[in-house]
Amino acid sequence: MEIFDLLLLGFSEAMSPANLGFCLIGALLGTLIGVLPGIGPTATIAVLLPITFFLPPLAGIIMLAGIYYGAQYGGSTTAILVNLPGEASAVVTTLDGYQMARQGRAGSALAVAALGSFFAGTVATFGIAIAGPMLAGFALNFGPAEYVSLMIFGLLAATILASGPVLKAIGMILIGLLFGMVGTDQATGAERLTFGSLELFDGIEFTVIAIGLFGFSEIIANLERSGSAGVTVARLTRLWPTREDFRRAWPAVLRGTGIGTFLGILPGGGATLASFSAYSLEKKVSRTPEKFGTGVVQGVASPEAANNAAAQSSFIPLLTLGIPSNNMMAMMLSAFMIHGITPGPSVLTSQPEIFWGLVASMWIGNALLVIINMPLIGLWVKLLTVPYRLLYPAILLFCCVGVYSMNNRIFDVLLAAGFGLLGYAFRKAKCEPGPLLLGFVLGPLLESNLRRTMLITQGDASIFVERPISLVMLIATVILLALMILPSFRKKREEAFQEEEA
Amino acid sequence: MAGPGATKRGDMPDLLTAALFIGFGVLGLWLSRPLDQGTLAQMGPGFLPRVVCGGLIVLGAVIGFSALHRQGEPLEAMKLRPLAVIVLSIVGFAYLAEHAGFVVASLWLIIAGSLADPGGRWRTTLLLAGGLTLFGALVFIYGLGVQMTIWPF
Repeated sequence: MEIFDLLLLGFSEAMSPANLGFCLIGALLGTLIGVLPGIGPTATIAVLLPITFFLPPLAGIIMLAGIYYGAQYGGSTTAILVNLPGEASAVVTTLDGYQMARQGRAGSALAVAALGSFFAGTVATFGIAIAGPMLAGFALNFGPAEYVSLMIFGLLAATILASGPVLKAIGMILIGLLFGMVGTDQATGAERLTFGSLELFDGIEFTVIAIGLFGFSEIIANLERSGSAGVTVARLTRLWPTREDFRRAWPAVLRGTGIGTFLGILPGGGATLASFSAYSLEKKVSRTPEKFGTGVVQGVASPEAANNAAAQSSFIPLLTLGIPSNNMMAMMLSAFMIHGITPGPSVLTSQPEIFWGLVASMWIGNALLVIINMPLIGLWVKLLTVPYRLLYPAILLFCCVGVYSMNNRIFDVLLAAGFGLLGYAFRKAKCEPGPLLLGFVLGPLLESNLRRTMLITQGDASIFVERPISLVMLIATVILLALMILPSFRKKREEAFQEEEA
Repeated sequence: MAGPGATKRGDMPDLLTAALFIGFGVLGLWLSRPLDQGTLAQMGPGFLPRVVCGGLIVLGAVIGFSALHRQGEPLEAMKLRPLAVIVLSIVGFAYLAEHAGFVVASLWLIIAGSLADPGGRWRTTLLLAGGLTLFGALVFIYGLGVQMTIWPF
């Protein structure tokens, strides 16, 4: 069995003391920011991206991945104990989790969340190990035309599955594409959209945009909101679910894992979408849907399993096709790029230790997280009492030094401040900045593949419908667009996201 | 421009969106004037920027037009203090890092940045500034080798 040999290779990579250490650091950091409201994984990874430049490639990527799925664990802790979702994906967990805590079943809820997440993480890890090589083999047949269609499908699907108005999301992608074009044109060497500024010849650095839009503008927005309500922590009792809770939770965990793994792979999907969908599914299949919201264990188990599964399965399109499906994966893509690795089907064969090392580290990381979360829960809860007033100056410093260290240029810090202002304007305009990052990352790929296709066919665009894989993607794109125009679907989608905002 | 609260019609966040989209579209078109358009088979550097900017302007127009005919929704209230203080402290950091080294720049960033939140006390702020600066110098400059001078001299 080849796959076992490869998994073994992965484990031997991931078990090296250094990689194990970075996996632990990532999981700890992820739990920390998951617990602290006001700092999300996107901003944290943006801040840490420049630092990974100083690490070996695998170690850096293992750490960043650990932050992402670690945040899913941490977010649930505060959701259950203090009714405060540390992460967007833990919002639904507050509904039943906090009620359970008020009934003195906090320990049970926390244990179900942690064990469910661990189970889901294990399944999703195997999902990546099995689906990864298959998809990558398939993707080796892709020519430039297929990539163009795939990217157009991915970008559009991401706008529809993400929350917020679709037109705004498409506009944000276009702005991202535009930012991606700044600098020297790859094909012709012409200098584009630079205002004649020498500093922009190499284009805009990804971290500059990410830290500006997510780091700086998030700090400003948090300070504007301020005045956080007093935190009351529910009392912790026994830390093991009762047999009754166990019996009810495990089918919900299975369903959550399934839906999460599936939704994570879709473009635009990810942890948040998965947890909301899992909760509504649980409500639908339950014989007593009216009890949801009063402390039902399924209402904790299923979304927690789903968000963790999705956090991991969203790595599949990135690792096998090289196409990020949400803004977190756009971050991961640039983490690979920093080390000169372009994720995609060829990485699996040319650098198997990267792919399998990451897969193995995810499983190890999940096991570490159960250990970090169960006995140490008291410690994390104490951290909640640290006021934001003391936190944001530290974040500010890390952001500034991080941006500077990419190229040792002051110009980048100023540019990031400008993007902070822009991000603030986008917030006021109620535009999600996520799709902009996707457009920015995919822009250069899209342009070079489009050019190549057109060059091969001498400007004949019919190739996109003549190649079968490309045709399927384009048909899927058209169907998605048509669905958006249909009023009934639009209403359903709006309803789904309304529930999310409530 | 009508002041906040005075608006009867027009979805203000959407109008702002339209202004941003159209603004970027027009700016991009203007900047790509000297760029060669090329043909479909031999795309020049100006081809895709023009397509994208055109799309942005059209989208902005559609969003703006429909926002005008909707019920009024005001912009969220703006607080100038955090916005101005944070941006100024970052710009100051950039200037000081180049001319006075990391220690001065970092102290400035944290002390000035702390003013964004009115509730802070001076003693905690100074302690925080000192601690973070020491941490930053040890970890970033000695540990990770970020190239920045530490002292102003």
